[in-house]
Amino acid sequence: MSLIATDGLTKRYPGGITALDGLSVAIEPGIIGLVGSNGAGKRTLLKVLLGLLEPTSGRATIFDLDVATRGIAIRELVGYMPEHDCLPPDASATDVVSHLALISGLPRTAARERTAEVLRHVGLYEERYRAIGGYSTGMKQRVKLAQALVHDPRLLLLDEPTNGLDPAGRDEMLELIHRTGSEFGIAVIVASHLLGEIERVCDHLVAIEGGRLLRSAPLGSFTERTGTLAVEVEDGREALVERLTARGLRVVVDGPAVLVDLVDETPFDIVRDVVVELDLALVRMEQRRHRLEDLFRDDPTAGNGASAPAAPAAAAAPPPPPPVAR
Amino acid sequence: MSTNPPVTRAGSIYDLGYRRYEGPRLGRAHAIRSLIVHSFRTTYGIGRSGRAKAAPIIFGAMAILPAVIIVGGLTIAARFGFDRQLDDAELIGFNNYYSSVTAIVVLFCAAQAPELFGRDQRHGVLALYFARALRRSDYALGRLIGFMLAVLVMVLVPMVILFLGRVLLSIDIGRAFGNNLPNVPPVFAQGFVIATLYGGLSMAVSAFSPRRAYATAGIIALFVLPGLVAGIVIGIGSSTVGTWLVLVSPNTILDGTNALFFDRSLGEEYFFVTIPGWAFLLAAVVEIALVVGLILRRFARITI
Repeated sequence: MSLIATDGLTKRYPGGITALDGLSVAIEPGIIGLVGSNGAGKRTLLKVLLGLLEPTSGRATIFDLDVATRGIAIRELVGYMPEHDCLPPDASATDVVSHLALISGLPRTAARERTAEVLRHVGLYEERYRAIGGYSTGMKQRVKLAQALVHDPRLLLLDEPTNGLDPAGRDEMLELIHRTGSEFGIAVIVASHLLGEIERVCDHLVAIEGGRLLRSAPLGSFTERTGTLAVEVEDGREALVERLTARGLRVVVDGPAVLVDLVDETPFDIVRDVVVELDLALVRMEQRRHRLEDLFRDDPTAGNGASAPAAPAAAAAPPPPPPVAR
Repeated sequence: MSTNPPVTRAGSIYDLGYRRYEGPRLGRAHAIRSLIVHSFRTTYGIGRSGRAKAAPIIFGAMAILPAVIIVGGLTIAARFGFDRQLDDAELIGFNNYYSSVTAIVVLFCAAQAPELFGRDQRHGVLALYFARALRRSDYALGRLIGFMLAVLVMVLVPMVILFLGRVLLSIDIGRAFGNNLPNVPPVFAQGFVIATLYGGLSMAVSAFSPRRAYATAGIIALFVLPGLVAGIVIGIGSSTVGTWLVLVSPNTILDGTNALFFDRSLGEEYFFVTIPGWAFLLAAVVEIALVVGLILRRFARITI
């Protein structure tokens, strides 16, 4: 049984924006990173899966339940953490989470117990009785995660869970997600545009762009290339490229920048040495870690078997836009 | 796992265990019930901050005040031996109490209805509800019924005080009980119409205007402006088509149903009105149905 399966899933908003464009993908249980740049269709996909949005065409299933007809059964099994603020500031974390537990169908005593447990699980203690308006962003994110967990879902849908957190808060949130997913058998889908974060917790990545599937593969096949180093110099770029290539680096020229493949740490030293040798004026040296376009560009170094299985599906001409109602 | 003591720093995450929930899930009916209870409590500020309690306490006190004064008057009268006369006296009685507190009910609705639909939309809480195992209509109806119940309690409590005062302070409790008992059905009927009509109208306004200030202003406008139209019609008087226009105002509808339930004639200002009493009741029912339909449509279509 696959966790999630979509088939030609398309969503067009009134006004002509196509958020999902014939997306077909099958996802197995685990911790899945849903990556894509802003506007790639991540949030739309999550909302369609939750039954909050009706797809224009195509179908999707979660736990083999059709999202179009079994919305309530699905939402009983799913916990959703939206990206935006969704907590009333004048209520306490306990109030909000226990109320939402009741709405999810838990009896009163069970709701109270689970609220206490889940808030402890996400790391909220005495402050859970205070009004949420006085919480830090990190604490609010924890409450949002707690309300998604309180009814003990089989699947968590997390939308940008590290948004607005400082580095320490991010680490803690990622660790929490990782533990929730790996130790308690809850499948997790984390939507994010920050690949660097997602790769720390996920074991499978689904990348979408422009509403289409770019690639769905285990994490390992994505990280064989760990990134690129962008180097910009005044005059003498050709000489730099020549020298770097001579030293065995894979180099691509991209506008004003020279992109060097980062396999390990050595290119840093080599670039430094070469720049000194040629006496070039170094303008910029920047590690472009895991930019999506780098990862999904034709990639000779990552020539393993996991090459975009769904590319044909995405390429298959999407049906002509049906007249959108409303 | 970590051996850190769980109290070093607020907000740190420690693993104290996550347990699965194997117990029952009670489904949509339970969710709706919970929403009704929650809406009722939120409206009265129960379990909320002192500031959230201020408005319901003030308006509640204002609604009860006339009843308390009447009962107080009865008590004093009983002391001085006028109770025999007062048993039959009609000061502010059951049949005109409601119209004397209408303005307070309107203010209560205007202040508290935005606390439910408005608050959920303003703070994005709607997404958390709709992502759970219930229908959008379940959410809308739960909130709506909870608020209507709150208004019902608001208008019935003074009546209960009035009833108890009139019965218990009488020298012949049995007779007073018998005398006052026929008032109970019309009191409930009229209270029910007030709660559903005013509660429904103000919830509809707040469903469409998440901003609190707009919702409050809109609710007051909705109760005042049609009243002006009705007032003009009443002022002009007569004209058969014109008389039906009194039905545009929720206030005049309530005057009409009040007269119908208590089996009295309409007030003097309605001297020209030839509409039968049931027309007012029908107008109330139609308006309530319309309002419920609008609210359901709003939440069926809202994007979150």
